[in-house]
Amino acid sequence: MRECALAVTTDLLWLDHPDCRELALVGGKAANLARLASLHPVPPGFCLTTAAFDRAWNGGPPRALPSDVRATLSDAYARLEAENGADDLAVAVRSSAVDEDGVGASFAGQHETYLNVVGTEAVAEAVERCWASASAERALAYRRQQGLPVDRVQLAVLVQRLIHADVAAVVFGANPLTGDRDEVVVNASWGLGESIVGGTVTPDTYVVAKADGRVLSRRVGDKARMTVPVAGGTREVEVPRMLRGTPSLDDAQAAEAAALAVKLEAAMGWPVDVECAWRDGQLYLLQCRPITTLR
Amino acid sequence: MSDPATPRPIPAPPDFPVTWERPEQERLFWTHDRMHWPDPLPIVYASLVPEDGVNRAAERYQAPIRFDAARINGYQYSSFHPPLVPPEELEAMGHRAQEKVGQAMARLGEIWETEWFPEIKQHLDYWRSYDLRGATMPQLLDHLDQTLKRHQRLWTIHFEVAFPMLMSVSLFDDFYRDTLGGEGAFDAYKLLQGFTTKTVESGEELWKLSRKALGIPSVRQVLETRAAQEVIPALEASAEGRAFLADLRAYLDVYGRRGDKFDMMGQPSWIEDPTPVIKNLKDFIGQPDRDLEAERAALVAEREQAIATAREKLKGYPRQVVEQFEFLLRAAQTGIVLSEDHGYWIDYCGQYEVRMVLLEFGRRFAAAGLLDRAEDVVHLTFEEIAETAASLPRIDRRGLVAERKAEIERFRQVQPPPALGTPPPGPPPDDALSRAMGKFFGAPPAPVTDRSLLKGAAGSPGKVRGTARVVRSLAEAARLLKGDVLVAETTAPPWTPLFATAAAVVTDTGGILSHCAVVAREYGIPAVVGVGAATAVIKDGQTVEVDGDAGLVRVL
Repeated sequence: MRECALAVTTDLLWLDHPDCRELALVGGKAANLARLASLHPVPPGFCLTTAAFDRAWNGGPPRALPSDVRATLSDAYARLEAENGADDLAVAVRSSAVDEDGVGASFAGQHETYLNVVGTEAVAEAVERCWASASAERALAYRRQQGLPVDRVQLAVLVQRLIHADVAAVVFGANPLTGDRDEVVVNASWGLGESIVGGTVTPDTYVVAKADGRVLSRRVGDKARMTVPVAGGTREVEVPRMLRGTPSLDDAQAAEAAALAVKLEAAMGWPVDVECAWRDGQLYLLQCRPITTLR
Repeated sequence: MSDPATPRPIPAPPDFPVTWERPEQERLFWTHDRMHWPDPLPIVYASLVPEDGVNRAAERYQAPIRFDAARINGYQYSSFHPPLVPPEELEAMGHRAQEKVGQAMARLGEIWETEWFPEIKQHLDYWRSYDLRGATMPQLLDHLDQTLKRHQRLWTIHFEVAFPMLMSVSLFDDFYRDTLGGEGAFDAYKLLQGFTTKTVESGEELWKLSRKALGIPSVRQVLETRAAQEVIPALEASAEGRAFLADLRAYLDVYGRRGDKFDMMGQPSWIEDPTPVIKNLKDFIGQPDRDLEAERAALVAEREQAIATAREKLKGYPRQVVEQFEFLLRAAQTGIVLSEDHGYWIDYCGQYEVRMVLLEFGRRFAAAGLLDRAEDVVHLTFEEIAETAASLPRIDRRGLVAERKAEIERFRQVQPPPALGTPPPGPPPDDALSRAMGKFFGAPPAPVTDRSLLKGAAGSPGKVRGTARVVRSLAEAARLLKGDVLVAETTAPPWTPLFATAAAVVTDTGGILSHCAVVAREYGIPAVVGVGAATAVIKDGQTVEVDGDAGLVRVL
C-alpha cells in the first residue's frame, strides 16, 4: 500500500498536510503530532520524510543530504521563517522513526533531537546528524532489544518552530506510582523540557483528577536547573535562587495540561504521555505517545 | 579521645585573655570584625551598641538570624547565628524572610526616598539645629538621652537598608553567574557601574577643588611646597588663600563628617582635622588632568552595553526568569548606590553628630578638670558621663580614663585572634543571606604557605605592579605616591579619594561586595581583598604585582 500511495518526490510534508499523518512516511512522532494538531496547537513545522531517507540510502544510512533534498529543506525553512515573521527562526530538529512512539515501544530519547537550530546551514547539518543517528549504537541496541529490524531503519526528520518555553511539562495520563488511570500526573519546571526528560531537575509535581480537573496534590520541587536556548543550541543553567521554590504552574495550568492529556487519550484510545510547554500563556503540544509501560 | 561531633571552644591566646560576660557566650562562634573595626575601640561603644540594629532589622524582615556583639579587650567581635527555634520554624522564617526582603527589594529606591532617608534627615536636622554650647547641663543630659534614642533609630534603619541592599546585589551576582553563565568574577558588576554615589562624589568634588587650586598660582604654590599641616595657616595669609579656604570649608561641610575608618567616636572627623583632605589635594594637583565627565560617560556606556548584551542573551529564557533579571537589576542598581550612601548618611553624618554631643560633655568636664582633654570623654560610658555631669564637678575621671587608654594601647600591640568561642558544627549555610554576607565580609583568608604569593579574593579587575605602601591609618597615607599599591587592613569610604592616587589596592579584609571592592571598581583600579596577612607579610617599599581578577598578590 505504502509503495503505490506515495510518489517518490514526497520528500517533505507540512504538518497540516493530510499525508503527514502517515506513519510509514513521517514516523511515529510526526504522525502523532499531525493527527493531534486539529485538537490542540502544535508548533508549526514540516517533516522530511522516509522517502527522502530511502532514496539516499546506500547500503547504510546516508551521511549527507542529496542536493535536491537540501534545496527542498532550504525552501521549507525559508517558508517557515516567512510564516512566523522571523529571520533566523529557531527550530527544533528531531528524528521521527517509523516504528517508534508506537504502542509497542516508546523510543523515548533513542534518536537525536537538536534544539534551537538557527539558519539553513545549521538545519541541514542537524538533519544529517539525525540520519546518521539511525545507526548510532544505542539506537541499534535498543532496536535489537525490542526485536525491531536493524538492517533497514526508516527515519523521518521533524522540523518545527522552537517554543521558547517559560515552563515545560511532562504529563502522564495515569498515575505511574499507583497505576491509577483516573489520575493525571503533571511534572513541570522552568525552561525547555530537556531538564525534566533528562532527569536533571526535581520538577513540581501535580496530581490531577481526570474526571473534573481538580488538583489532588501538589509538591513543589527544588527546580535547581533549567535548559535554556543559547547561541548554537541549548545549555543547562541554574535557576535563579528566588524562583526555585516558586511553583512553576498554578492549579488552572495544571488542570489545563491534564485536560490536554484526557483529550489526547480519547483521540488515541490509550492513556498518553505528553510533552508540552507554555510560552506567554499559550500551551503547545510538543510530543504525544501512548503509555507503553502501564500494567 | 574527644568526640569530633562535639564542637569545642577555641582556646584564647595567652596574650589575649577572654572573660565572657555571660557563660552562654562561649557557646557562640565569634569573629573579629576586622573590616569595620581593626583597632580596639573606646568604651563609649558599649553604651551605643550600634549592632543592636541588626536584630531590630531582622525582626522587621523576620530574618532567621540573630546577632550578638562583644567588645573583647577593646576589639569588636560579632556572632551571627540562627535564633533558638525548632528547625521547622526556622525554615518557615526563612520563607517569610525571603518574601519580606523581596518586597523591600522591589521598592528599595522608593522606601529609601519616602521612609528611610526622610527619617535620617529628620534626626540629622535635630542634631544640627541643637545649640550644644548654649544648653544648660540638665538640657544637655536630656539631649544625651535623645541622642542615644535617635542613634538607635539610625542603626535600625542602617540594617533595614543593609538586608535588601546586600541581598539585591548578591542575588543579582548569583543570577548573572549561575543563570546567564557569566565567565568573569566581575561581569555582573559591569551592569551596576557608573552610578553616582556619595563616596565617588566626595572624590570627584575634591578633584574639582584641586583643579581650581591649580588655576590660582599662590594657592597652587602653597599646596605644592607646604607640608599638609602647614597649608591652612599659609592660605590664611592671603586673600586668594582665604577665598580658597572658604571653598575647602564648603567641601568639608558636605564631605567632612568623616574620619579615618569607621570609628567616628574615637577619631577626629575631617572637619576637626582636615589634614587627610589637604594631603589628598596635594596629590591631586600633582596629577595630570582628568575628564571626570568623560570617565563617567565611559562607565555608563559600558554598563548600558553590558545590559543590552544580557537582555539579548535572555531572549529565549522563560519569561519569569527574564522578569527576575529585570527585578534584580533594578534592585541591585539601587542597592549598589545605597551600599555607599547609607554609610555616608548614617555611619558618618549620623555618628559625627553623636561625637559632637559627647565632645560637648568632654569640653565641660575638661574645663572642670575632670578630664585632661575633651576627646577623652569617649573613654566613659553613657552612665558615667551622665553621672559625672549630674554631679559636676565632683567626679574626677582622669585616673579611670588613663587606665582605659593604657589598656587600649596595650591591646593595640596584640594581634586579636580572628575567631573565638565555639565553631558551629557542620558546613556553613548556603542560604541567600549567608551568601550575601560572605560576599561582603569575605571568606576566611587562606593560610599563608608562600610568602611571595598571597591569596585573597578578586575585588576589582586588572593587573598592575607598583611599590607597596603599607598604611595603617589615613594619617599614614601621606607616603602614598601616584602609582603605588595601597596595602591596608581595611579601607573605609573616607579613604577612597586615595584610589585616584593608588595604582591598586590590597586589603586584609572584605569580599567582592565590601566598600573597598565596590569603590575600586568605580575607580577602575585592581583590588585584591580579604588577603588576611597582606599588612603582616608585605613590607613597605617592596614591589608587588596585584592581579585583581585572580585575587593574587605577588611579592617580587
